[in-house]
Amino acid sequence: MLQAKNIHFCIRQRPIVDQADVLLQAGELLAVLGPNGAGKSTLLKILSGEISCKKGDIRYNGFPIRGLSSRALARVRAVMPQHCSLSFPFKAIEVVELGLGSQTISSPDDLLREVMTETNTWELRDQQYGKLSGGEKQRVQLARVLVQIWEIKPYPRYLLLDEPTSSMDIAQQHHVLQIVSRLKERNIGILAIVHDLNLAAAYADKVALLKDGVIRHQGEAAAVLTSENLEKTFDHPVKVAKDPDNDQLIIISRKQTNPFTHEIKQA
Amino acid sequence: MLTLSLRKSKLYINALVLGGLGLGLFLVMVLALSQGAFHIPADTVVQILLSKLGLAEASYNLQQYNVLWQIRVPRILLSMIVGGALGIAGAALQGLFRNPLVEPGIIGVSSGAALFAVIFIVFGSHLTLFTDTFGAFTLPIMAFLGGLLSVFLVYQLASGQGKTDISLLILAGVAINALAAALIGLVIFYGDDTAIRNYTFWSLGDVGGASWDKVGIAFLLAVLPSGIILAQYGGLNALAMGEAEAFHVGINVQKVKFIVLFFSALMVGVGVSMTGIIGFVGLIVPHLIRLVFGADHRLVLPASFLLGALLLAIADLLARTIVSPAEMPIGILTAVIGCPFFIWLIRNIRKTTN
Repeated sequence: MLQAKNIHFCIRQRPIVDQADVLLQAGELLAVLGPNGAGKSTLLKILSGEISCKKGDIRYNGFPIRGLSSRALARVRAVMPQHCSLSFPFKAIEVVELGLGSQTISSPDDLLREVMTETNTWELRDQQYGKLSGGEKQRVQLARVLVQIWEIKPYPRYLLLDEPTSSMDIAQQHHVLQIVSRLKERNIGILAIVHDLNLAAAYADKVALLKDGVIRHQGEAAAVLTSENLEKTFDHPVKVAKDPDNDQLIIISRKQTNPFTHEIKQA
Repeated sequence: MLTLSLRKSKLYINALVLGGLGLGLFLVMVLALSQGAFHIPADTVVQILLSKLGLAEASYNLQQYNVLWQIRVPRILLSMIVGGALGIAGAALQGLFRNPLVEPGIIGVSSGAALFAVIFIVFGSHLTLFTDTFGAFTLPIMAFLGGLLSVFLVYQLASGQGKTDISLLILAGVAINALAAALIGLVIFYGDDTAIRNYTFWSLGDVGGASWDKVGIAFLLAVLPSGIILAQYGGLNALAMGEAEAFHVGINVQKVKFIVLFFSALMVGVGVSMTGIIGFVGLIVPHLIRLVFGADHRLVLPASFLLGALLLAIADLLARTIVSPAEMPIGILTAVIGCPFFIWLIRNIRKTTN
C-alpha cells in the first residue's frame, strides 16, 4: 500500500499541501478532486518522490520513500504528467520504450505490442511523437507509464496520473479510464487527478476532495461525493443525482443564481 | 520481415549506419593521407599502413614513409579524435540541455578552456610546480579545468529548483564567453612577446602541430571519455521528456548530468588545448544525425562521434589543400560552413514552434 502521513509542503511559508494523509491500496482507484490551485499536482509530486517534504512520512509497500533509489522507486510506481513535450524527434514507439527505463524484461517486444494495442497506439508507432494530436500524445504517454508497471510482480505497484484525459473526447476518456480500471486486477493501485466529476463518479472506488492544500474528505466514492461536500469544495452549486438506468452517480453543476450559495461560501 | 523483432531490426539498422560511417571515415582517411603538399599515391598509403600492422611487404621510399608516418598520420588521427570528441560532446550536451542549439562553444565550454589554456601558455613558465607534476598533460588539464569551470557556472546560472531554463542558459553562455574573451585579452596584455606569439599560433585553431605524443594524450583524454558518455544513452533518451519524467522512469538524473557535463568538458577542453577553438562541429553533427536517423541516443551518440571525425578530417584536408602549399586555419573553414547552417537552424526552429 502507498501511505502518506501528515505530509506538508510550503512555498515561502505558504502551505501548498497541508498535513495531508493519503492511503492507496493496490486494486483500488482513488480520484483526487478539487478546484484549480488546490494543490493536487503538488500532492502528486510529493507522492511520486519528485519533490520531498520536510515533514511527514511516505511509504511504498512499507518502505520509506527516502530510502528508495530512483531505480527502485520506478519499479513500484509510474507517473503520468499532465503534459509532456519531447525536445527531439522521437517516434511514438521510442517514447513508449522509455517506460522500460533500466528494467530488464524478458520479451520487451511483446510487452510493447501488448500495451500499445491496449491503448490504441500501436498504429501510431512509427509516427513522430511531436506531430501527434493532444489526445494521441496522452495515449502514447499512458502506454509509456503502463509499460513501466505492466508485468505482474509479487508486490503491489502504483500508478499516479495527473489529469490523464484532459485532451480527449468523451469516448477516449472512458476508454482510458476503462484501461486504468483493468489495472486493478494486476495488483496495481491508481491515484488519478481528475477534472471531470462525472468521470470520477463513474470509475473511482475512493475519492479525496482537496481544497487549499487540505484533504477535506476522503473515503468511498458514494459517501464522499455528496452535493454538500462538492459545493463546499468547489464553491459552486452542485447537485448529485442517480442515473435511473444504472444507479451511477450523476453530478450536475448549476448556474449560480441561488442566493443560498452565498451562505455556503461564507460558511 | 515481420517476424524480425522491432528492437533487433533497429539494432541492425544502427549497425549498418555506424558501419557505413566507419567505412566513410576510413576512405576519407586514406584520401587525406595521400593528399597534400607532398603527394603519396593511395595504394602506397594502404601499403605503408598494412606493413606497419605487419600484414604486408611494402615497396616505398623512406621520404614517403616519413611524411606519412611522422607528419600526416598523427595529424589526421588528431583531427579525427578532436572532431569525434566535439561531435559526441555536442550530442550529449544537446541531449542534456534538451535543446538542439546547444554547442560546446555557445555555452562557454570552449572559451573557458581557451582562457585557461592561454593562462598556461602565457604564464606557464611561472607554474613550474604544475608542469613538473603533469608534464605533457598540463595544457590539456588546464583547458579541461577551464571548460569544467565555465560549464558549471553556466549551468548554475541557468538552473534553479531542479530545472534548467534554456534561454537563461544561452544568455549565461553569452556572458561567460564575453568574460572569457575579456580575460584572454587581459592575459595577453600582460604577456611578453614570445608568449603572445605562442598564443597567436595556437589560437588560429589548426591541427598542424600534431605529433604522436599529442595523439596519445588525445586518445586517453578524449576517446576513452567518449566511451563513458556512450553508456549514458538511456539517461539522455529519458531526459528528452524532462528531468522529472526521467526521474519517474528510474533514471538517476543528477548522476547522468554530472557524467555528461564532466566528460564533455574534459573532451572539449582537451580538444581545445590541442587545436584551438574549432566551432560548429558539435552543433551541426548531432543535428544532421537526428535529421536523418532519428533521435535515439543509442545511435546519435556513436554516429555523432564518427561523423564529427569524418567532417573534421575533410575540413583538415581542405585546409591543407585549397591554399597549398600554405595552410588555412581549420577553425575558419568550420565557421564558414557552420554559420549559415546555424542561421538556417534558428529560422527552422522558429518556424516549427510557431
